[in-house]
Amino acid sequence: MKTLLIVSHPDILESSSQQFFLRSVKENHDMTIHHLEGAYPDYRIDIEKEQALLKQHDRILFQFPFYWYSSPPLIKHWQDVVLEDGFAYGERGKMLSGKEFGLILMIGISAREYQAGGTELFSINELTKPFQAMAHKTGMIYLKPFTIYQFAYMEEEQKMEVLIKYWQMLTMENDPSLASREKWLIAQLEKMLQNASDPHDANIYEYAISLIKENRNTIDGLKVVLDQMQQH
Amino acid sequence: MDEEEWMLQELQRMFDKRQDYGEAVFIKAAQDIIEEQGKRIYQMEGEIDGTLWSPKRWGE
Repeated sequence: MKTLLIVSHPDILESSSQQFFLRSVKENHDMTIHHLEGAYPDYRIDIEKEQALLKQHDRILFQFPFYWYSSPPLIKHWQDVVLEDGFAYGERGKMLSGKEFGLILMIGISAREYQAGGTELFSINELTKPFQAMAHKTGMIYLKPFTIYQFAYMEEEQKMEVLIKYWQMLTMENDPSLASREKWLIAQLEKMLQNASDPHDANIYEYAISLIKENRNTIDGLKVVLDQMQQH
Repeated sequence: MDEEEWMLQELQRMFDKRQDYGEAVFIKAAQDIIEEQGKRIYQMEGEIDGTLWSPKRWGE
């Protein structure tokens, strides 16, 4: 799966949260990071180039700070000019149909305020309706949004947990089950095993991978037993 | 010490000495998923025990 991460932030170097997440991702064959303000400081978007990028990827993600319940202006402008009739929708073209689309939002206010009774009144699901409608109109599969609230107040351990979820949003199949997360993590640990220079570290990675697989067999075995018991 | 506990300790030792932040994050993720699996196994075994000892089966 190839992921296109479209980032919009007018002052990205000054944003500690954007830097934290973006520095953790390496571009490779399956991962393209595209910072709009960096590519188009004059707002003159190369439409053909953008449409070609979209065609080359399977998962399209928008990452931006949630400003006044919406996105920074350039990503809106990008939508206006790139997602045109005949390319993204309409009789003559539905080039994005079947791709996945998701939002990665950096939010300065606490999660609990985004609900009835909270200071922001509406939920993120309500406030992001235009993006959901865009995915719907273009035939894309809308992923659950990845929301990061008040990054600056996070403890170190929370930052690590959120970083794993961020990487999963970028590269894991759209299935948050334990089995799917195990599979994804095993693939990452196998890469670390290949690069491990210390044989002791390599051993530990190997043990960890085999324990995760062994536990999966146990869980699957127990599931069979439970299913049989429930049938009787 | 059981296998899970030993594994978690070894991963913690690696986590503590790790200099690369990304690697540390994956080591922590491995610890978390092993713990989550352990919990899942415990709950499923509990469910099997509970079903076996259910009063519904006392009459059987």
